[in-house]
Amino acid sequence: MTINFDAMNVGDAIPVYTSAPITRTQLVRYAGASGDFNPLHHDESFIRAIGMDTVIAHGMFIMGIAGEAITSWIDNKNLRKFSVHFLSMTQPVNLDDFEQTKGRATITISGKVAEKYEENGERRIRCDIMARDAQGSRKLKGFFIAALP
Amino acid sequence: MADKSKLGMEFPLYSIKVEKNKIAEFVAAISQKDDTDHIKDIYRDEDTARKAGFENIPIPPTFPSSFIFWTGGGLLGTVKALGADLNRLLHSGEEYEYFAPICAGDVITRKMKVVDMYDRGKPGRRGMHIQVTVLETEMINQRGELVVRARTTFMER
Repeated sequence: MTINFDAMNVGDAIPVYTSAPITRTQLVRYAGASGDFNPLHHDESFIRAIGMDTVIAHGMFIMGIAGEAITSWIDNKNLRKFSVHFLSMTQPVNLDDFEQTKGRATITISGKVAEKYEENGERRIRCDIMARDAQGSRKLKGFFIAALP
Repeated sequence: MADKSKLGMEFPLYSIKVEKNKIAEFVAAISQKDDTDHIKDIYRDEDTARKAGFENIPIPPTFPSSFIFWTGGGLLGTVKALGADLNRLLHSGEEYEYFAPICAGDVITRKMKVVDMYDRGKPGRRGMHIQVTVLETEMINQRGELVVRARTTFMER
């Protein structure tokens, strides 16, 4: 895919990306892939010990999903910066209560072009991004910078 | 609480080889696939990656976090070195600057240091007082090139 600098305007939306409902199995898969074995993300007995309700997704898993959203739109090699703040925790779907809990576990990434400029001899865009669950709760916000042809 | 005398501390250097299968496993995780056969071709097929202008299969944007977690004792090793409490820890922000691609076969050395430590809120008030720690990690490839700089912010409640 080729996204052209001249064709982009400040305020243009980037394509919306919606995840599948995040499951506990996916958290285990992400833990093994990334090496982040914080028990907060898979061990319910640890969760009880620290007074929480359920395991939560790794913030970096949500950022990873946002990265997927971005690189589904622009080429990986054009990314120059990617920065986020985590805003709230994400609980996975309960398989014994799927319909009631899928909303909290489904992440939508949206964003828009905030700036167009030249830097280091490249034409770049900065896009603001936001991740929300299907109930509207904000999960992360941030931005990325990409060089465009 | 993380020990404030650790401000400025540099962690030992660790190196790790970027493995093709590890990239595929990571991409399967973040793209929520059940196996690595169904990930994007660029992350599993060398020819596709080369046609896209990479020397080999590239990493996805957030993969550099695995260079920290899979070296130096991982999360627990880092938490211990900082004198922090895992039970109170929250990852609050992450930033990557990309200077050049990282691909399968590269050997990445991570150079991490504590660049900031500060308090937010009022000491002694439970739930109000937060200590913030910022780590900066330079990722350097086998040719000595700085390829990624990461800034990781976490809080202790």
